[in-house]
Amino acid sequence: MKLKRRSISAEVPSMAMGDIAFNLLIFFFILARAQDDSHHQWKPATTNKADTASHVRAVVLVDVENKLYLDNQEISISQLGDKLERLLEGYPTGQRTVLLKISREAPASRFEPILAAVSEVGGELLHVLEKKDH
Amino acid sequence: MKIRRRSKLLVEPPTHATGDIAFNLIVFFLVCASVQPETGREQEIPRADPKQEQSQQSENIEVSLTRNTVAINGTPVRMESFPQQLKSLLQGKRNASERIVVVKSKPDTPYEFWIAITGRIEELGGYVTLLLEEERTITLQ
Repeated sequence: MKLKRRSISAEVPSMAMGDIAFNLLIFFFILARAQDDSHHQWKPATTNKADTASHVRAVVLVDVENKLYLDNQEISISQLGDKLERLLEGYPTGQRTVLLKISREAPASRFEPILAAVSEVGGELLHVLEKKDH
Repeated sequence: MKIRRRSKLLVEPPTHATGDIAFNLIVFFLVCASVQPETGREQEIPRADPKQEQSQQSENIEVSLTRNTVAINGTPVRMESFPQQLKSLLQGKRNASERIVVVKSKPDTPYEFWIAITGRIEELGGYVTLLLEEERTITLQ
């Protein structure tokens, strides 16, 4: 008597392919966030009340080592004005917000020229501050 | 003769995707938490006006800051009495140009202190402007 073998079919399980693709999209979306400056160390100053930022065109950061960054790129104070002017070009008043993330211990010799440079090019300052816990 | 039903009436929901659902929910909440908008305080600092007359500059209220002290028009004041004294100086001044407060800081004045003082100035209706030392290149012959 000839016994027939059952045909063994080996298929790649494709049920989870949709989930895998979706998760990969999410991972790359998180990694590719353009304004991610979480690796810079800075300690925010505090305030009693805070407004929410809108129409942010540029982010200026001064970290705990007093290094200056514009949109995550380290620059010198002399370059700040020109670069900001290019970033703010064409935007009307009310839509030229420049976020300032300045570490609380930064001295006036560091942040005052930054404030002056942003004001000179018509940027609208928004100091990023931590709300005080009462 | 009793006929047994082949199919069960109790159907369990499929649970093989529960792990994926939980993982995706965690990722969604992480993404939502990381894109919270920044909060802070808006500030408008007038641009430098070289044409401003010297006499007008001398009429503005001047606040001088060091590392931990504050002075109004050259007179040191206590932190507790700073709001009251500034309020009395700003009282009666209705024009925006009269409410300009020139903030002069020593090079080592920390940002947090500067923010606290300028915040109080703005709460009392003053307009903060900076006084920076001008750098000029002088060529000796």
